[in-house]
Amino acid sequence: MLLGSYHWAVVTKRSVSLADEVASAVETAAKEDGVSFSAWLSSAAERQLRVRRGLRGVAAWEAEAGALTAEEIAAGEALLARLLSGVSGMASRVRRR
Amino acid sequence: MSSRDGLVYGAAALRAAARGDRIVWAMHRAALANGIVPVVPASAVADAFRTEARVDRLEGLLAGSQVEVLGDEGARRAGELAARADTSDLVAVAVAEAAARHNAAVVAARQNALRSAAGLLGHELVLYAV
Repeated sequence: MLLGSYHWAVVTKRSVSLADEVASAVETAAKEDGVSFSAWLSSAAERQLRVRRGLRGVAAWEAEAGALTAEEIAAGEALLARLLSGVSGMASRVRRR
Repeated sequence: MSSRDGLVYGAAALRAAARGDRIVWAMHRAALANGIVPVVPASAVADAFRTEARVDRLEGLLAGSQVEVLGDEGARRAGELAARADTSDLVAVAVAEAAARHNAAVVAARQNALRSAAGLLGHELVLYAV
């Protein structure tokens, strides 16, 4: 598996159909990022696959440790929002299972 | 205070997940749900696997992370930065360097090396200390 290394991967050609506006936006984004149309699409697909696998990883942990509660999910979202807005923090109380 | 585009995990974040820190798992879930794939320097992965028995949990967290290998150039940059920061903590330096490069917030232990390296890179450290 060579995720994250498009240039080194064995390349499979596929014919894909994109809505005009999506294709146009991808073309612009690829130019801005200095990569080819195919490389940009491959990178986006790779990211989506990683998100998918990651959420499965979270689900596997929840199956063992107990599902995250609505309160915990909200706390996680709030922490992420704080960090992305540039606010540092510190773990106050660690709850483990 | 400026916004960040993503997350970088240090070894302590991986340890926290391995030990079942629920807020770390909840934040990781929130990141993925928002299309953010956290970055983890390979040296932090090595350090976590050195100390943690629950590798299954580490694997679960890393399934939704992008592990970055230093490579030749990166290794040189990290070594030089560690020298300037006067530290032998190459994991902390790699985390700081990745955070600066990705404009990311960091989830890691509170360490002087992390702050020093970020400062030398001109990057204001946004840290969730675990």
